[in-house]
Formats: sequence, structure tokens, C-alpha cells
Amino acid sequence: MSKKVLVVDDDPDVRSFVVTVLEENGYTPLVACDGVEGKEMIQADRPDLVILDVLMPRGSGIRLYRHLKTEETLKDLPVIMFTGIALRSFLKSQKALEEFQGEVPKPDIYLEKPVEPEELAKAVQAKIGE
Amino acid sequence: MSANKILIVDDEQIIVRLLSMSLRSDGYDVVSANNGEEALAVLEKEAPDIVVTDIKMPVMDGLELLKRIKETDPDKEVIIVTGHGDIDSTIVALQHGASDFINKPVRDEALAIALDRAKTKIHIREQLAGYTKNLEQKVAEATEEIRRKSNFQQLLIHSSHDAIVAFDQDWKIVVFNPEAARIFGQTAGDVLNKMTIEELYPADLVARFKDEAQDDTRQKKNTGDIPWKEMTLKVCVGCNFPVRYATSVLHENGEFVGIVNFFQDLTEIKRLEKELVQSERLAAVGQTVSGLAHYVKNILIGLKGGSYVVDVGIKKNNTDKLKTGWQTIKKNIGRVSDLTQDLLTYSKEREPELAPCFPGEIVADVASLVTDTAAAKGIEIVSEVDPGLGEVTADPQTIHRALLNLVNNAMDACLEDEDTSKDFQVRIRAAAAGSDLLLIVEDNGCGMTEETMSRLFDPMFSTKGGKGTGLGLLVTGKLVEEHKGRIETESELGKGTRFKIILPAEPVADADKKPTKEDK
Repeated sequence: MSKKVLVVDDDPDVRSFVVTVLEENGYTPLVACDGVEGKEMIQADRPDLVILDVLMPRGSGIRLYRHLKTEETLKDLPVIMFTGIALRSFLKSQKALEEFQGEVPKPDIYLEKPVEPEELAKAVQAKIGE
Repeated sequence: MSANKILIVDDEQIIVRLLSMSLRSDGYDVVSANNGEEALAVLEKEAPDIVVTDIKMPVMDGLELLKRIKETDPDKEVIIVTGHGDIDSTIVALQHGASDFINKPVRDEALAIALDRAKTKIHIREQLAGYTKNLEQKVAEATEEIRRKSNFQQLLIHSSHDAIVAFDQDWKIVVFNPEAARIFGQTAGDVLNKMTIEELYPADLVARFKDEAQDDTRQKKNTGDIPWKEMTLKVCVGCNFPVRYATSVLHENGEFVGIVNFFQDLTEIKRLEKELVQSERLAAVGQTVSGLAHYVKNILIGLKGGSYVVDVGIKKNNTDKLKTGWQTIKKNIGRVSDLTQDLLTYSKEREPELAPCFPGEIVADVASLVTDTAAAKGIEIVSEVDPGLGEVTADPQTIHRALLNLVNNAMDACLEDEDTSKDFQVRIRAAAAGSDLLLIVEDNGCGMTEETMSRLFDPMFSTKGGKGTGLGLLVTGKLVEEHKGRIETESELGKGTRFKIILPAEPVADADKKPTKEDK
């Protein structure tokens, strides 16, 4: 059975793009439109990888990322940050949060939109293989 | 005292000699003659101040001499020496203007008194002449001064950069300077002393000034000055001047004698103000190019993603993929065109295009445009139009764009709300309030913090990350401002937000509705 990848992004255009890339590379895409829905689906569907947007209404990607990295059962779930926000800005926001919420590991794959389909596929493969 | 030379006229040598001696000893300068004719010659040569003459003399008697003297010099003092009881001669001498009489035989004391009197008269006459001459000169000087001052004041009024118009107590125009002529498009010749206030000013202005004059006079304030105000002066159809004006009510002894109006043409200042606003706006766009670039990048992401999905669709012959990808591309093309329009609207000066329109219809149109999108996001759109709201004169495009923008914001505010248990609702309301149109867009979404509220109309401020241009409210604000309206905002964090647009929009009366409708 192919591996499940959850795309959490509020932008339908991004979702359809990522979904298509995943399908083309033999993965099973799952979609969530915001952080809240994403969190529920992670619990319910146990995806092998999460592709996470940063700026979203209703439970931003920043918060979901922290949740994933601090929750004992989820902290090994691979996450690709996929966002329009520059990495520097993201790390800055993380740093601000760390001051009173504790440190979390930095995302190991951080993709800035726009990315080429091949680049995205390569990132997914690097994390969870074919 | 200069009256010092005396001419004694007598045919009796002994009398002449005696009188001369006596007068010389009193300090006078004495000349003499034996009869009238001789006296005239001496008179011409010596110009004595006082003549003392006997009446009865050969060749020319004293009365004839008196007559001749008075003919050439009516002011000359002539003292007549008369014989005792010679009443007839005395009367004739009086008629001819003799100054005084002394009786024969001439006594020194009598002569001295007569001479003193004559000298006093001469002195007074000299003084009077001096005064008169002085007075004439002073009047001439004062007249010149007044003329100079009056000319100066004329020049002041004439060259003033303010338009100056003054009215007398009958409201007739008495001052109308060249700047007034320029603003009112009338020549001073056609206006001065010919036109009244009613013929020059629009009716509302006439009423205002008459009231002010009356108030000022009635209340005996007599301060006279009514402070500067601004207004648009409608001089004729199509020629409006933005002006600043002031009035002085003129009083003399508490009586109203007229008013003066000063007008300053603000056309140039207003133009500069507009230019300044315009350049600030352009500067704002320029400063936030990075914000815009971010938004454009998002569009690009959509376009690239969409075209990849289309490629896959073509390769796999997958209609669903084709549709989805194509949808994405079309949507992002729409975003580019919206952005372009917003940028143009924001950076260009635009006059509202007023036309009769039904705000109710516009509300319905906006609601129908967003209902599907809203439903997909779980938001209900409710529109309410006040039944009393009919056709109004306003710019339908302003109303449409402002409403659409606020409704989109309201929907975003619902999506931002973390409390998903709410039944999200966006209400669009339109109502009439006198000659104003009220447009209200209300949501029960996430609400705003004070900080966000205070920055709402800042250029390129957006809470939507790269998904907003930061232009939406700016464009709305500008459109509303150009429509001479205003926007009021209320918001409570977690409860929702209410935007209220107040636009001046006169209701269209039934009478003038038909022709415009046919025009359309």
C-alpha cells in the first residue's frame, strides 16, 4: 500500500497542486484546509508525512508544528514545511515562542513556495522513500 | 508794531509843523502834504500806514482825498480832522469810510488816542490776514493729505489679493476690487453703485450676510468681525470657487452703515492639497512594493501549480485534473486583474460618477456574487434593505466595490475565527438616513484588536499574510472619501466586526427620475 501524505493548506490551489504531485509520484494524498482539521486528521488517519503551510486561518501552521513536535506519539512524524513565508521569518517566530513554550527541533525540510513539482517530490522521497 | 509812518495833510504849515514835531517826539516817522493832490503823490512814494487829513484845503480837499485813497486801498486808515460842528462833512467822511475823527484844534491826546485806535485796527487786520493765509494753506495741505491717503487706500483695495466687496446700508455695492471682478466675472463698472447684493451673490449667501449684519446690529455687539469660513462659491453654472471668506459689519455711531466681504480664492491651495494627497498615496504604493511582490508571488504560485495540474491532466487524459488546474489558472488571472484594478483605483484621482441607482439592487448583486463561495465555507450571507430606501443619486460603482470588499473581508474574518462552533453570518444592510445612504457590513467572525483597528487604512497593511494585497480597505476608503462619505468601524475581539459606510446620496424625487431612466 502506498504511503499516506497529509497536505495542510488553506489555499485550494496549493492543495490541488500538491495532491497532483503526490499522486504522480505514487503516494496517497490526504487534505486538510486548516490547522484544526489537520490536527484531527493526523490523529484519525495516521499519515506517514505532513506537508504543512505556515500561515492559515484557524490554528496556524506554526501552532500545529509545535503540537507535532512536542506530542510524544507524534514527534517522529516527518514534517515538510511548505510555505510562502521565508525560513528566516519562520525561525524568528519559533524563537519568540520558544522563550515561553520551550524549544522544539527545527524543521528539517523547509520549502519556500513556489517550488517545482520535481523538487517537492524529491523532498517527499527523501523523507519517506518511494 | 509796524504802523509807524504817518502822513499829515493840511494847508496850514504851522499845524503841520506842530503835529509833526509832536508825533516825531512820540517816535513816529512823519511825512506831510499841503493838499489832497500832493498827499496822493506822497502816499504813493512813502506808503504811510496812517493818514491824518484836514477837510478844507485848496486843489483837492480832504473828503476827495479820502475817496481816492479808499478807492485804491479800502483798508488804509484815514483820520479826518474836522471843524467844530461840521456835521455834514463828518457824515460824508463816514460814508466814505473814514477811520476816525478828531476836532480842531487838534490836541495831542486826542490825536494819540485816534492813532492808537488806528494802529490797533491795522494790527488786527494784519493778524487776521496772517491767520487767513495760514488757514488756506493748512486746508490745502490737509486736502492733499486726504487725497494721498484716499489714493493709498484705493490702491490697497485695488491691489489686494483678497476679493473685497463692500455694500452700503442699502446693500448697494460700493467697493469691488479687481480680484472680486475676477472671481465674480463682472467688471467694476457694471457693478459699482449699480448692483445690489442680491444681484451679485447666490441667494443663500445673501441671506447669510443679511442675517449676520442684523444680528450684529441688533445685539449691539458691534464687534463687526465674523471669522473666516470656507465654502464653495457658485458664481454661475459650472463655475465654482472654493473660497475662504470673512465679513466685517460696519457701524458708525452704533448705526449699521454697510458690510465688507473678503474672499480668498482657494482653488490653487485645494489643487496643491489634492496633489499632496496624491503623491502621498503614490509614495505609499512605492514603499510597499515588497508587500505587493509577495502577493504577486502568491498569484504566480497559483498559476504555476495550476499549469502543472493541467499538464498532468493532459498527459493522463484526466478531465478532473484539467478542470481543477484550469480553475486555478482562471482564478489567479482574476486576482491579477483585481490587483491591477485596485492599484489603478488607488493611485489615480477619480471623481465619483453620480447617477440615479437603487442601492437595494447593488446589495442583492453583491450578495449573489458571494453566496456560493460563502456557503462552501460555511458562512451565511444575509442581506437586508430598508423598504424606505428607493432610488438615490450616488456612484453605483463605489457602492458595489466598497460592499464587495467589506463582504470579502467579513468572510475572511469568519474563516479566521478559531471558534468553529459559531454559525457564521455576514449581514449586508442598506438604509436611508435623510440624504445619506447607510451601508453596513457586519460579521460575527474573529473581530479585531485595537492595533489592527488603528492600522486598517494604512497602505499595504494586511492581516492575511500573502493572501491580501493590503489594498482592499485602502481602495474602499478612497472611493468613499471621494464620494464625500465616511467609514465607521466597530469591532470586538472574538465577537465580530461592523463596518458602516455613510455616503451622501440624495433620494431621487419621482419627478426627475423619469428622464434619467430614459437616458439609460
